[in-house]
This record gives sequence, structure tokens and C-alpha cells, in this order.
Amino acid sequence: MQKIFITGMGAISSIGSSVDEHLNALRTGKCGIQKARFFQSRYAEDLVFGEVPFSDDQLKEINNLTSQKEFTRTTVLAVSAFKEAIHNAGISAELLKSDRTAFISSSTVGGMCYTDELYSDANLKAVPSNYARSYEGSDHTLRITKMFEIGGIMDTINTACSSSANAIYLGARLIQTGRADRVIVGGADSIAKYTVNGFNSLMILSDQACKPFDENRSGLSLGEGAAYLVLESENSACDKTKIAELTGFGNSNDAFHPSSTSDNAIGPILSMELALKMAEIKPDLIDYINAHGTGTVNNDITETYALNTIFPKVPPYNSTKSYTGHTLAAAGSLEAILSLLSLKNNELYPSLRCEAPIKTHLSQPISEFGKKELKNVMSNSFGFGGNCTSLIFSKCI
Amino acid sequence: MTFTDEFLTGDYKIHSQNSFTAFEPSYSETIPSSLLRRMGKAVRMGIGAALPLMDRNEKLDGIVIGTANGGLENCINFLNQIIDYDEGTLTPTHFVQSTPNALAGQLALMSKNTGYNVTHVNGPLAFENALLDAMMFLEGKITKTSLLLGAVEEISNYNYNIDLLAGRYKSDSVTNDYLIKSQTNGSICGEGATMFVVSNDANNALAKIVDLKQINFPTKSELEIKLNQFFIDNELTLKNIDLLVLGNNGDIQFDFLYDDVKSFFPADIEYVYYKNFVGDYRTSSAFALFLTTHLLNGQLQNHIGIEGNITKTPKTILIYNQFEGIQHSLIIVESIEHQKRNQIITSKYI
Repeated sequence: MQKIFITGMGAISSIGSSVDEHLNALRTGKCGIQKARFFQSRYAEDLVFGEVPFSDDQLKEINNLTSQKEFTRTTVLAVSAFKEAIHNAGISAELLKSDRTAFISSSTVGGMCYTDELYSDANLKAVPSNYARSYEGSDHTLRITKMFEIGGIMDTINTACSSSANAIYLGARLIQTGRADRVIVGGADSIAKYTVNGFNSLMILSDQACKPFDENRSGLSLGEGAAYLVLESENSACDKTKIAELTGFGNSNDAFHPSSTSDNAIGPILSMELALKMAEIKPDLIDYINAHGTGTVNNDITETYALNTIFPKVPPYNSTKSYTGHTLAAAGSLEAILSLLSLKNNELYPSLRCEAPIKTHLSQPISEFGKKELKNVMSNSFGFGGNCTSLIFSKCI
Repeated sequence: MTFTDEFLTGDYKIHSQNSFTAFEPSYSETIPSSLLRRMGKAVRMGIGAALPLMDRNEKLDGIVIGTANGGLENCINFLNQIIDYDEGTLTPTHFVQSTPNALAGQLALMSKNTGYNVTHVNGPLAFENALLDAMMFLEGKITKTSLLLGAVEEISNYNYNIDLLAGRYKSDSVTNDYLIKSQTNGSICGEGATMFVVSNDANNALAKIVDLKQINFPTKSELEIKLNQFFIDNELTLKNIDLLVLGNNGDIQFDFLYDDVKSFFPADIEYVYYKNFVGDYRTSSAFALFLTTHLLNGQLQNHIGIEGNITKTPKTILIYNQFEGIQHSLIIVESIEHQKRNQIITSKYI
């Protein structure tokens, strides 16, 4: 089987506009969840968000996209992280044009981040807005494909909160089956009235910054951002610096409920077991887990149960959503990158705001910064619709 | 479209509205009424097409769905509530039902299928991407492995209006038997759900997917080069194709592209259209595969709705579809009798 190497990363979220800024935030315990400065909503006052600290116009300016009137915030965030990833991996403009270069992205809200414009356009209330052709979930993928003239396969996934973890999975399969030599994989989502009202109607939004794995957690905090990784085959990566190898991935469905996970964690356990099986390693060789850890009552108890079921001794774990908020479709790839920062630097970052760990199971997320030799790390993503995906990254030997 | 059995026996209704709405069954034998009430049309149609098929097959190893937009009616309902009630207290049903992965999730739930589960939303390539995903899942599997593969799209005021603003629909209505000939700006909106079981086991197979390819933003010469390369990669020549299934939709701005592709083939190449049956929607190529599977088995060739030039039962079909000249897709499908390759995908229709 073809090996899959990670050769580049790019990220933007509330804690940074580059991978280096993310590393710095993790090391200093900087949390990006606070009162929104730019998001307009009646919930902007009551709730806190992991908002990227720039307005749409500022983001366009920073990324030289001011002339792109049809680009939504989701697309601009995606371009920002995409550019960093290909630059980091040294993928030239010419190489992007190759039909052996693929692009798999993901989004949940996609171009629907402009809820008011969408309302107007969908109900034919006024002259069409700038975004009349930008609402589809795949809009950002197509615009990036065009802008960077990507020559190979392109795809957009939506498996809710596990979307970009599945983009990584699919990208790896393209390489393994010989359909691509290099694939840029990830996802993007921006904070939108649509999503905020959706999660609010489910009563799973916390009014304070989320407290994953805390006994008194009260829900999740929504975030936004984009994150892309460059996956390459051994031949394509050649003598480049390889950040890590993607050694395992598993996908399953919890088949329990449209918007919550089962008590006995069927889906989460299956996806982790499949990833372990593929990586051909025993659970005790996992040195760190980046948990899905949303901070909802349901997710964190299920995930804790799953970890205690699979691992004889649960390895150090945290939820980096305590830094970034839940970035939805971007979460899988963003957290893959944050896991890779741990792996690369042999560092464990504390899970923020877990004051009293969940009582019913053996559970204590990482509470302080620490150094530890890491070889294999796991990243979990579970979504609405029962979609569960686990990834394992290993140091290159 | 009509429901399968009616369609196969030639029961076929002519549409004359400015959108071709699906003729839905009652679902009473498939979906409990308590669940049905809460389901949006996309989820309902998808489940109505998929569950009977899943029931007729052994336990499947997963579910792969392509849908550009998922449950749009619920999406717009929720959106309208957000604005009309100024983000007041809303009920979550519309939100949960509007997510594009709601169908694959609901199918997993109703069939207790904890296997592989992915939803592709890549616009006009969403079904092709789902098919590619399924092929990759099956490749390398040593034991018999089968997946549910399907696509769904629904017409809602939301996408109708948005696509109307984008100039994608005709300003006047045409009947579906006149759609291809109409040759004015835009097409007619359609919808539907199409489901298959795909497997690496050739037993009882109805057709074999040889390969598929997507081509984005090509010039005419690039399209020809990449199409030829696709055939070379599969050790085929254009002469191996004995029928083209073409995505013409009556839009004068882009239908010439189908003539371009047709011109790459021998002048007497046979062809049929498919959007005259179902109208235009992002994942209509799933219906093209459904039609293709039947044609390869000597069915539907003489169906009253068939338009094109087909005189014999084809053995190797190329499905070609494009969206506004930007995304192009090619799928080669062979009859089972004709198979000579080792990569086999079964497709069973409902």
C-alpha cells in the first residue's frame, strides 16, 4: 500500500492566521473564544464565538482578493489556509495544474454564510446580491480550483462536523489507489446566522466559552476557520521534509440519532478501531488523542466512554475546541494540524477550562503544558447524522 | 420521473410546468408515518428509493450519497424563520433535516448500518464523486463488499429562485418531450432520487462501471485530449463505445458542447438523451446511470420517452454530462456479457 505523507499545512482560525500562530497560541494557552466583533446577530451579545478577528473586507485585503466580489467569507478563509499549505509544501503553480494534483475540500454552511443576502435572493426580495451564484456548499472548492488552476480531481464533502476528516480520508484513498500523487485536503466554514440559530435551536450552545470534558459543561462554542493539509505519495514527496505519515483512518456511522451520539458509542468506537487496525498498531501505542470534545453534555460523555472502552490506559487527550471553538467542517483538518503540531514538537497542550473532570468515567484531559516523546497521535471527529471519523498520524521513521 | 416499476412498464407522464416535479409514491410501506411527517422531500425520496433496495440485499458495508444541495425546502424554511422571527426561538427539525448528510445518516439509522458513510456535495459532480468514492472503497477489498450508492436532489423555491437569478432556467415552460429541441436560454428544473447497490462481486450484476473521469474548466482541445487520454488509460478506443448517453438540457448556451464531444466519435455513433425524462438537476447523472444500466440489458430502448438514435442493444456506453461548460464528467459502463476487465462494480436498480 502507498504511504501517505503530510508535507504541508495551512490554517486560519480565531487563534491565528498561520500554522505558526496556532502553535504559539497552543503553547501560551491563548483562547480565541470571546464576544464577536464582526458577526451580526442578536446572539452576538449573548454568546461567545471563535471568530477570526478580521472583517470580511480586511480578510479580502490581507489575501489580495478585494476584486473578488462573489467570494464569501468561507471562500476567503479557505484561500488563506490553502495558500499557506501549498507554500509550506512547496507545490508550484505548475504542479497544481497537473492532473495528478487533486483537491478535496469540505464545508457545512458553504456560501450560505450570508444568511440575509440568501434570504433576499431565495425569496426574490430585491436585485440579486453579489453572492447569488455563491451559495452552494461546493462554491469555495470550485473557485479555488479555478483560481489556482488545479488540474486533477476535485471534490467537496459534507458529513457535518467530521467533513474535513473525511476529506483527508478521501485524499489518502486517491493516492493509495493511484489516482493522484498529491492532494490538498481540508475544509472551511464561517460563522453564520444559519448555523448559530440551528445549534441554538438544538439548545447545545454554551453562553460562556465551552468547557470540554468538564462535569459542568453546558454546550459548545461555535468557531470558524479553514485548514488544509498537503498529502503526497512517497514519490511525490521525495526528499521533502515530511511532517508525518497518515497511517490510519476509519469511518463509521453511529446509526443512533440524527443529532446525538449513542450511549454505548458504537460509531466512535468503530471509527477508532478501524483506524487502529489500518495503522496496525495496538491502542497502547497511541501517545496522544485530539478528541472531538465539543463541550456538549452528550458528546463528551460518549467520547469518554469510547476512550475508556478502547484504551486499557487512556492516553493524554485534550479538546483543542477549547481554544478555537467548534469550526464545524474545518474542525477535522484544523485539529489534524494541531495534532501534528503536538507530534512534531513532542508537546502536549492543556485542554482549557476543564475544572472538574467528568465523574462517571475515568477522565482527565491534559491539564498543563508538557513535553513528551510522541510517535503516534489520533484525531477524532464525530458529526450529526452519526458520521464518525478517526485519523492516526505517525512520525516518519 | 415516476417510480421505477411504473416507469419501466411505460407509464410516463408528460410534464408541462416550468419544473419537472417527481411523482412520489405513498411511502406507506417504507417509512413509518411518524417519521415521514418530519422528513423533507430529499430525505423522503432518498429513503423511499433506497430502503426497498437495501431490504432486497444482504447487509451492505456502507452508504455513499451524492447531493449538491440536500434538503433545500427545510433549509429555506429555517432560513425564513431566522429572518421572519428575527432569530427568535426556532424548532430544530428544519435545521437537522436541511443538512445534506441527513439522508445518509437517516438511512444508516433506519437500516442500522454502522458501516462506511459519506456524503458528497460537489455541485454538478456530486454523484460522480460519490461513485468514485464507492469505487475506491471497493478496490483492494478481498471479500465480497457492497455499498449503497445514490443521489438525490429536490426542487425547492430556494434553489429554483437562486438558479433562476443565475439564468439557469427558461423563462417559459416547455413540455419534457420538447425540452431538448427547445434551444433557448436555460433549462427546466428537475429533481429525483436514484439508488444503486454497487459491489466487487460480479454475481447477479447488471452492469459494470469501467471508469469515470471529471474534467474542470477545459478548452475544447483540452476536453478532446483528456477524453482520449481517459480511453487510453482504460485500454479502450472511441470505437469501443456503441452508445452515448448525453446530458443535453435544451440550453442553447451550452448544448453545443455535446455536439463537440459527439464529433470526436464516428459519424454514425448512436446516442440518447436523459434530461428529457427528469429535467436538469445537479445529480441527474445518477439517473443517466440508471437509464444506462437498463439499456445495457436490452430494456427501455423502445420506451415512449426515449429520444435520440438507438437501433441496437449497446454493450459499452459513455455517459457524458457537463455543467455550464465548467465541470465535465465521463462514465464508461459495460454490459456484463461484455466484461473483460477485472474491476467490477455491480449495479442494481430499484
